[in-house]
Amino acid sequence: MDQDFSWLHLKPDHASRPLWISPEDGHIILEAFSPIAEQAQDFLTAISEPVSRPAFIHEYKLTSYSLYAAVSVGLQTEDIIEVLNRLSKVPVPESITSFIRERTLSYGKVKLVLKHNKYFVESSHPETLQLLLKDRVIREARLMTTQTDNSIKAATFTTSKAPVKGNLVIPGTAKEADKKKDDGKPAAAATDADLFTSVVGVEGDEIEEDDENVHAFEISDAQIDDVKKRCNELEYPMLEEYDFRNDTVNANLEIDLKPATIIRPYQETSLSKMFGNGRARSGIIVLPCGAGKTLVGITAACTIKKSCLVLCTSSVSVMQWKQQFMQWSNVTDRQIAVFTADQKEKFAGDSGIVVSTYSMVANTHNRSHESKKMMEFLTSREWGFILLDEVHVVPAAMFRRVVTTIKAHSKLGLTATLVREDDKIADLNYMIGPKLYEANWMDLAAKGHIANVQCAEVWCPMTPEFYRQYLRIQNRKRMLLYCMNPNKFQACQFLIKYHEDRGDKVIVFSDNVYALEAYAKRLGKLYIHGGTGQVERMRILSWFQHSPQVNTIFLSKVGDTSIDLPEATCLIQISSHFGSRRQEAQRLGRILRAKRRNDEGFNAFFYSLVSKDTQEMFYSTKRQQFLIDQGYAFKVITHLDGLDKMEDLVYRTRDEQIELVQSVLLASESEADLGSDVRAGEGDLAGTVTSKDFGRVPRMPGAQRTTGSLTALSGGAHMSYVEQNKSANKKLAREAAPRNKLFAKRDKEKAAAKKAAR
Amino acid sequence: MRAIKSVLLTCDPAVKEILISMNEKNNFIIEDLDDYHLVIKADEEYRVRRELEVELEKNTYSLET
Repeated sequence: MDQDFSWLHLKPDHASRPLWISPEDGHIILEAFSPIAEQAQDFLTAISEPVSRPAFIHEYKLTSYSLYAAVSVGLQTEDIIEVLNRLSKVPVPESITSFIRERTLSYGKVKLVLKHNKYFVESSHPETLQLLLKDRVIREARLMTTQTDNSIKAATFTTSKAPVKGNLVIPGTAKEADKKKDDGKPAAAATDADLFTSVVGVEGDEIEEDDENVHAFEISDAQIDDVKKRCNELEYPMLEEYDFRNDTVNANLEIDLKPATIIRPYQETSLSKMFGNGRARSGIIVLPCGAGKTLVGITAACTIKKSCLVLCTSSVSVMQWKQQFMQWSNVTDRQIAVFTADQKEKFAGDSGIVVSTYSMVANTHNRSHESKKMMEFLTSREWGFILLDEVHVVPAAMFRRVVTTIKAHSKLGLTATLVREDDKIADLNYMIGPKLYEANWMDLAAKGHIANVQCAEVWCPMTPEFYRQYLRIQNRKRMLLYCMNPNKFQACQFLIKYHEDRGDKVIVFSDNVYALEAYAKRLGKLYIHGGTGQVERMRILSWFQHSPQVNTIFLSKVGDTSIDLPEATCLIQISSHFGSRRQEAQRLGRILRAKRRNDEGFNAFFYSLVSKDTQEMFYSTKRQQFLIDQGYAFKVITHLDGLDKMEDLVYRTRDEQIELVQSVLLASESEADLGSDVRAGEGDLAGTVTSKDFGRVPRMPGAQRTTGSLTALSGGAHMSYVEQNKSANKKLAREAAPRNKLFAKRDKEKAAAKKAAR
Repeated sequence: MRAIKSVLLTCDPAVKEILISMNEKNNFIIEDLDDYHLVIKADEEYRVRRELEVELEKNTYSLET
């Protein structure tokens, strides 16, 4: 491809303008160090998709979907071009302006609105509706309403005033909105206009179509899918909006955020994109792990105040969502119900919240009587709002089933990492809606909402013995070899020691259970994997949280999502799930909500240990791509200073290393499996490891028959053995010391008083 | 004893292991000196370098453009 763009003429004052636009593919390059970069970023996130956002140069891309999203939040074609032109160093290329015009002309001009439980196709451009009605499929789906007025326009469409945001206030932002109302402007117009006037300097390019009339015709429910599909083919994709304040048919749900709940500025921004014109739009909000996605979802539910269905990936997150709802909002126990494999509840009253998993709802076969009844309950009613957690993991087919069986007015998808290894992301665009908001990780970190993280990749050379075997073996056991590399062992030991001495709490991740146990036993640390019993696990976690003696734990895949440890400040990765960008981001998320993040100069650390010259190098680079695009820089460490001088370094001698290689070679091939310790619970999505009760993987020892004397059987044959590598788990005190009677008594009284007060 | 024209290769232990495994297919190593040094046949040098390059490239991730 010809990359020479020198024919693009720079404007004379180009130095003060922050961006370039590529005339060929719509990529926008932004100088993030420019003084007006922040405003430019706000604008660019609205009209384009962020591709990569490192410290100084950002890259965005104009796509059909991003422009679709821009129109859906109320931007006008000419404004987009005008603002782009002001920011660009070169005149906006003809190809780009025509692309924008072409896309925005049709996108978002037609809306699908559920009003009084009837579907209306709505538009502020009557000619567009005329055009649609010329299509056979759509014409047939149209329901005729009798009109008394004979003028052509009125006979064709029902006309009504366009909605104005007016007095809709997103809870938790009350103060903000009040202040703006004092200025005599509607809140939405103010926030959106702020953004533009600051850039454009033009007053009065009001984004809201305040006084325009909208026109609509009704279509029958049964043919809604055909119409939607047809509209997409005609390149007039319909926006779905829900006019929840005028919905008198569905019962209101009296919930509100607790007064003490305050939502953060970026959460407010994301919600204002959703409720921009006083109606609820469907779409996806992307926020990093630990940035309070749940609260955004809850606030949205509290704004709509209708029956709400929450879908998440596993039964553990179901319980977490319920608990979060109870924590942040004033919803009562009776109003919120849970639908999982073990629990099937219905809420009391006309409206309420149901929390369930995707697979429970999408499952089509083998239902128990109870769940069948529950499904009838779910499908029979109309939902005001459906919240989809972790949308990026749901298989498209399952999604479609959910979306078609449940009748919901508006949908909101939440996710941290809008990447899929199979690149099915585009599917979400038409099944849920456009991406409404995507947070900038670096920005949130700078403002202290998430922790600052230093990322590093540590290159550990393979020892000759290990590398020889690595080259020789062609099956999955290769992986064990690069995990168990003695140099990696040493690097891991060194880093743990270094960070423990600094006062950090360290988590070491290993997807491979064999390596996990070997490392933890050898280094004398506690570990948790799928086979660790519930009680033991709780004990280990509480020691890690509270005891200054336990500063390091080893976690298998179970720790990726379900275990929340805000104490942890340092993370070391010794083996991982191939090139999964999502897992990398999820793991980073473990330390993003570090408790100490607001301390002066605090940094969390994220290390990946990689064996040099192996496949791991390939995977490791691939895994990092998502985080790099978010602006994280990975330092490469090739040599750990002071490693040689460390006392009691493991596997220092060649003999020990050879012994290790032998034991790895003896291990069976299945030991190289990843995440083998985790079994998904019923109703969990495959591949989401969020289940807390993973259950032991049954490992029955095979029966053995031997003959021997009674003395030998009772151990009298002069053989004894000592276990050298005891797991540190066993050394923990069994139970915490009982509390002093004095405190125990006081606790009991407190509990009794609480009960009485209720 | 016949004299063979040869080249002294200096490499790290991992690369040496790759070379040794390549050597099994077709013999070019004359002498294995220590962890860092090998003596190989001079006329094989370019082929070996090329193959080694291919081998090492397998473990590098590059963005598809």
